[in-house]
Amino acid sequence: MPVATIETCALTRSYGDICALKPIDLLVPEGEWLSVMGHSGSGKSTLMNLVGGLDRPSGGSLKVGGQDLLALSEDGLARFRREFVGIIFQQHHLVPYLTAVENVMLAQYFHSVPDEAEARSALERVGLGHRLKNRPGELSGGEQQRVCIARAIINSPKLLLGDEPTGNLDHKSTLMIMDLLKELRAEERFTVIMVTHNQEVAAWGDRTIYLDDGILVRDELTGA
Amino acid sequence: MMVAWKLLSHLLCFAGIVLVLLRGFPGRRRTVATCASAGFALGVAGALTLLRLLPGEPAFGIIRDVVGGSFLLLWGVSVAAIYLSTGRGLPTGWLQRSLERSLPAGCCALVAGLMAGAVSACKLPAGDPVAPALLLLAAAALAWAAWRLEKMVPESFAVSPAGLATGVVALLLFSSSALIRLDLFSPLTMKVMKFAHDFVHQFFESMLIPDHLFIQTYLWGYIGLLFGKEIGFWGALVILFTPVVLVLLAINLERLPSVAHIRQGAQRRRLLAQAIGARRRRQLVPACSLLIIAASVYRSLYPSVEYWDPKPVPISASAAGDVFIPLKGEVDLQDGRLHKYLFKQGGNEVRFFVLMTPAGKFTVDLDACAICKPDGYGQAEGTVICYYCKTLIPLETVGRPGGCNPVPIPFQVKKDGVHIDGLTLSNTWGSTVQATSRVKEGGK
Repeated sequence: MPVATIETCALTRSYGDICALKPIDLLVPEGEWLSVMGHSGSGKSTLMNLVGGLDRPSGGSLKVGGQDLLALSEDGLARFRREFVGIIFQQHHLVPYLTAVENVMLAQYFHSVPDEAEARSALERVGLGHRLKNRPGELSGGEQQRVCIARAIINSPKLLLGDEPTGNLDHKSTLMIMDLLKELRAEERFTVIMVTHNQEVAAWGDRTIYLDDGILVRDELTGA
Repeated sequence: MMVAWKLLSHLLCFAGIVLVLLRGFPGRRRTVATCASAGFALGVAGALTLLRLLPGEPAFGIIRDVVGGSFLLLWGVSVAAIYLSTGRGLPTGWLQRSLERSLPAGCCALVAGLMAGAVSACKLPAGDPVAPALLLLAAAALAWAAWRLEKMVPESFAVSPAGLATGVVALLLFSSSALIRLDLFSPLTMKVMKFAHDFVHQFFESMLIPDHLFIQTYLWGYIGLLFGKEIGFWGALVILFTPVVLVLLAINLERLPSVAHIRQGAQRRRLLAQAIGARRRRQLVPACSLLIIAASVYRSLYPSVEYWDPKPVPISASAAGDVFIPLKGEVDLQDGRLHKYLFKQGGNEVRFFVLMTPAGKFTVDLDACAICKPDGYGQAEGTVICYYCKTLIPLETVGRPGGCNPVPIPFQVKKDGVHIDGLTLSNTWGSTVQATSRVKEGGK
């Protein structure tokens, strides 16, 4: 039986009176690709933020990679994010005045030390070997997202989180990105949690959970 | 209360030494703390005995030489560290192994504590039986505080052997700079100045460069720079700071672990980052040592001790040319303090002073020496100090000619006071001081 990467028990998150996530029990085995679906405001991103150590739960327990995130200090949580998690956002969040390779090196810098050769190789791996010295403004949406993927995987994370990574891409680019992620997962064996609105994107995962108003309403195996 | 305040910096230096030693010998904390405290007690007892047996300059000289010796040792350590950083093999394995044992750790702590204790004891008021006991109690308390503090410092803040030597010696230098008779910077300045001076003279003589007017007017303007006190100041700074800079450089040049065999880039970079981080943290103690040495130089240049430097009293000669100073006039000549006078004759001004030495004998000297610019002398802590080159002259030796000693003047002591020949005063000033002064100004 594979080791659970993520283990939650009655996990909740409230913002004042608003309960964004009602008690959720979830078990994600190591190496699984979990798609998270639901309407806007259903708690998808809240769940992802909690699992990625970007936010702290209001109640319950949360273990990621065997680490109890509730017990970690702010420094410990920062170390966890740095060493364990890679995140791909819909809005890319690339530094506009740095080149593609420098954006990847920035992630290396915050992790340990920059290594340009390794950053170049990561960009070549995502098919951007010819765009190393281009700034984000000179890249298409799909290319920018590939830079984000290179940035997310450069530190060999055990957990890759995607918050609508293909939300603003056309169909062709979406397929290209999903194909790339699948290929990388096969090589790196990281666990993936992908928040999406798109049924077709969700189908790339091994399993899909559906959230509605902070409640886990459905949990089914997909199998792309 | 004043004594406690005066001793505070020495005690803090001792606590700093214990802290650095504890971190430098992490496996031998108990031995280090015990030996450092015992060494401090021994140092206090030893210094007090020494001061009683050899009163005056000799005792201070011995303690100053010991501190100076530790600085020479630091030079050796720094050169060895920089040599080792080049990757050339030296059989240092035995050294590493011996540093992990109790005996070397205890010996280092004992010697460091001994020196710290000896320096601190020099600041104790003479003849006070309670002060040494209080000093030892305070030192023991601070050693315990250092022990507690060291436990709070993260383990990752390691101290290399060279860093350990740097930290201990820097703190010892700072501690000794609080006493003008133990201060190393001022004598070092003078030595450098003297070396430059002698070297230039030797060079001129060996090159048979003629003492020609043509050379004098032009060339001496530049050569004069080598005779100034700036050369001594900057030279001493270089000598003081170089070993610490070498240690910093040696740590910075330390080889990083080989990570080429690690396939995963993130893991490889993490290991490198850890090694770089550890190297940076090892530089912390030497970097702090730079600041401590800078502080000791500042303390040496601007000592907290106030020099006794009275304004010269104008005085004139009688018709027979006799300059007379009564024993009990406006001032008491027998109070053991420097009394300065300004004698004017024929447009010339001569500054001189009268002093009763600890041996109970009078001495009359020019307020200038035959070497330096006539910046004059001040008196503090059983010495007079030349303001120009900061040389300390023990009161016992004032009145003897030569070196940086004030130029002695013949005089007579009668029942009513001190009698000096005015003409002798003028001539001596003119023949020694004014001639020297012209050289210092750049002419000859």
